[in-house]
Amino acid sequence: MKLSGLTDGTRIALGNVGDFASDLVTPSLRLGVTGLSRAGKTVFITSLVHNLIHQSRLPLFTPHAKGHIKRAYLEPQPDDDLPRFAYEQHLKTLTGQAGTGENRQWPHSTRRLSQLRVTIEYTPQGFFARNIHGGKLHIDIIDYPGEWLLDLPLLNQSYEQWSAATIKASTIAPRDKLAKDWRSFTEKLQPEEAANEADAVKAAQLFTDYLASCRDDQYALSSLPPGRFLMPGDLEGSPLLTFAPLALEAASTAPSGSLHAMMQRRYASYVDHIVRPFYVNHFARLDRQIVLVDALSALNAGPQAIADLKNALSDILASFRQGENSILSSIFAKRIDKVLFAATKADMLHHETHDRLENILSLIIEDAATRAKTTGAGFDVSAIAALRATREATIEHGGEKLACITGIPAKGEVIGSDTFDGNTQAAIFPGDLPEDPADALDGSLTDALHFVRFRPPVIKPAKPLQPAPALPHIRLDRAMQFLLGDYFQ
Amino acid sequence: MTRKPVAFRIEEKPEKPAKVSPSKARKTTAKRKPRAIPAADITLEPENFDLPPETTLPATTPEPQKVVKTMRWGALFLSAFTGLVMLWASVTFIKLIEDLFARSEILGWFGTGLLALAGLAALAIILREILGIFSLRKISNLQDQAQTARTSNDQKLAKKVISKLRSVYSDRHDMTWGLAALQDHETDIIDGRDRINLAERDLLQPLDEQAGQIIAATSRKVTLLTAITPAAILDILFVAAQNMKMLRQLANLYGGRPGAIGTFKLAGMVASHLAVTGGLALTDSLVQQIIGKGLLGRLSARFGEGAVNGILTSRIGLAALDLTRPIPFSPEMKPDLAEFLKNIVSFRQTTDENVKSS
Repeated sequence: MKLSGLTDGTRIALGNVGDFASDLVTPSLRLGVTGLSRAGKTVFITSLVHNLIHQSRLPLFTPHAKGHIKRAYLEPQPDDDLPRFAYEQHLKTLTGQAGTGENRQWPHSTRRLSQLRVTIEYTPQGFFARNIHGGKLHIDIIDYPGEWLLDLPLLNQSYEQWSAATIKASTIAPRDKLAKDWRSFTEKLQPEEAANEADAVKAAQLFTDYLASCRDDQYALSSLPPGRFLMPGDLEGSPLLTFAPLALEAASTAPSGSLHAMMQRRYASYVDHIVRPFYVNHFARLDRQIVLVDALSALNAGPQAIADLKNALSDILASFRQGENSILSSIFAKRIDKVLFAATKADMLHHETHDRLENILSLIIEDAATRAKTTGAGFDVSAIAALRATREATIEHGGEKLACITGIPAKGEVIGSDTFDGNTQAAIFPGDLPEDPADALDGSLTDALHFVRFRPPVIKPAKPLQPAPALPHIRLDRAMQFLLGDYFQ
Repeated sequence: MTRKPVAFRIEEKPEKPAKVSPSKARKTTAKRKPRAIPAADITLEPENFDLPPETTLPATTPEPQKVVKTMRWGALFLSAFTGLVMLWASVTFIKLIEDLFARSEILGWFGTGLLALAGLAALAIILREILGIFSLRKISNLQDQAQTARTSNDQKLAKKVISKLRSVYSDRHDMTWGLAALQDHETDIIDGRDRINLAERDLLQPLDEQAGQIIAATSRKVTLLTAITPAAILDILFVAAQNMKMLRQLANLYGGRPGAIGTFKLAGMVASHLAVTGGLALTDSLVQQIIGKGLLGRLSARFGEGAVNGILTSRIGLAALDLTRPIPFSPEMKPDLAEFLKNIVSFRQTTDENVKSS
């Protein structure tokens, strides 16, 4: 992405110089964890941290498997102005009541940026590591809603460009139905007339409703900027979020005092006060990035959702500063040198078809992947489940063997005519993923697939004097090896 | 084929809640019609992009060249000649026994007993050699399968390879730990590629270290003895003998157990492997130039020769590693010559006693 200004570049460089200096003493690794909402960020971080701290079974995470890691623990995070990732609380939500696992549920979604520092002590191998910093590594995990990334392209767009693009997107099925209310209202507005706060509020409200309805399970659309409209946090009701696209004529200018001018100004402040600080202070300083993608929900919702996810992800990934770091760039303009795309919730299907899921994800992120490859950044695609909620089983049915998964489907989940109550165990055959990933995009899979959400697994509490029980996972260790493995030199 | 999603209540019999009849399932198959390519008309050549997108082929060393069977006349000659020798030997032995019986019955029976013992021993040797060759072949098959499982990320094949590896190493004390570690993640969901890499790390990495020590020790011995043997012909013999011993030790280490013939066969494979990879080892020869003709050579011509022989031995050892290791090296584990040279000059005393030679 082009830097929006020289000042941004300087501020990023200053931040990076500071990081570089402190890294000489104790290296730290800023791991960005993102994904669109409901992709499983919180669960991923909780499980990652738990597995690191408790030294669970991670055969593919080489530093751990070879016994190089001495211990890992949580430490106060470096940035005092950020909320801490509420690891303990999320863990408690996931495991429920100790022992019985009652009330266990998936944690609530990420609504804001948060940070957590895990410090790992390990046996260093290199001369420098042995003698200078003595084998300590800080891993700063930065959790932020993926929707915020969709805002990053706004840095390079004017209000008029954004307006036109958003209105155009809202005319395409299935968005056209959902946007009807908002569009009919906005078409009646006169952008060149004097600004009226009530109109602005109404337009923003209808616009937000439209965005929210797009996100419903039924449609599961992803590309919904500006991100703060859906996750306002403490900005709710502030003028920063009280703007909406207007149906403008091409090459129209905004007379001062008009609705157009007011919207334009608010859009500019949104970009300046929300998008840019996030970009400069956090996003541009990441070393490694994992992008979690909930491809299965999109597959549930159909080809439009997949296409939308594809758009959203290529928008997101266009903002990454990725590529191999040279010595100079590692000081001034750090780039993300490894990106992992993970299809989460892989425990909702049998492992035999995980490679197909990976292929579908590869297709979804095709554009982004090409870019990552040409810039020389490390890049991988993997189907993971940070917390595995199911077990696998084979069931004979109608003369053929079905590779099923068993677990307790979440309350209200429906398959065929069955509705689950959240207490009974069931074996689910979610349908066959297509051998050719392109089938997922062309609509030939309608009704052929249905993935069911499961409740979190019951984690038995630790016996006295025994190590804490491991959180079961699928390929979390592989992800860790890819993202962190090479730092343990 | 596309199959519809189904749910089974665990308490019930799985057959009971049949939601989808096979005919219905077939209906969904028909849904797959709108595919773009009528594949039946086209025969596509397999290409790189047919592979799963994230798979990158690891840098492999070229396959050892298979010996081309062109010597049919030679084979005929050899078999005929061996037949003759055998005939001659049996006639001679029968005659000998007859002579012995003619002299005294006790002597005759004694001779017969000796002959029977010799025959038995010969049979055992032949059997052992055949087994040796088979076990070499088994390792090379394993190599192929492991490589296929790795490049195609095939889970089933990877599991098969690992169960074979387990049978190869099951009777070895030094592998107990590695086998246990492997057993530990047997049931985990792991990709084929990763499973092979895990087996490589758990089982073969400790062996690699021992192999490195064997190669280093042999190289050192060769260097020293070349430098001090008085006659050139002696050091040729000596280098050859040491190298054969090393090959055998390496093969044993990785579970190959070749007999004498197996070792010769291995030597032939190593030679052709070296011929294939030799062209790539340009930097090595540079090292040889510097060490052989440079500094060491100036100090003492003999010592320079010794160093060159030592390096050659290391190279033979590395080539043998490629052939005797049941899983081909993953790129990050592949040892390079420079590392081995460091091993040779380091004074860490290594023992080849800890490697059993059978």
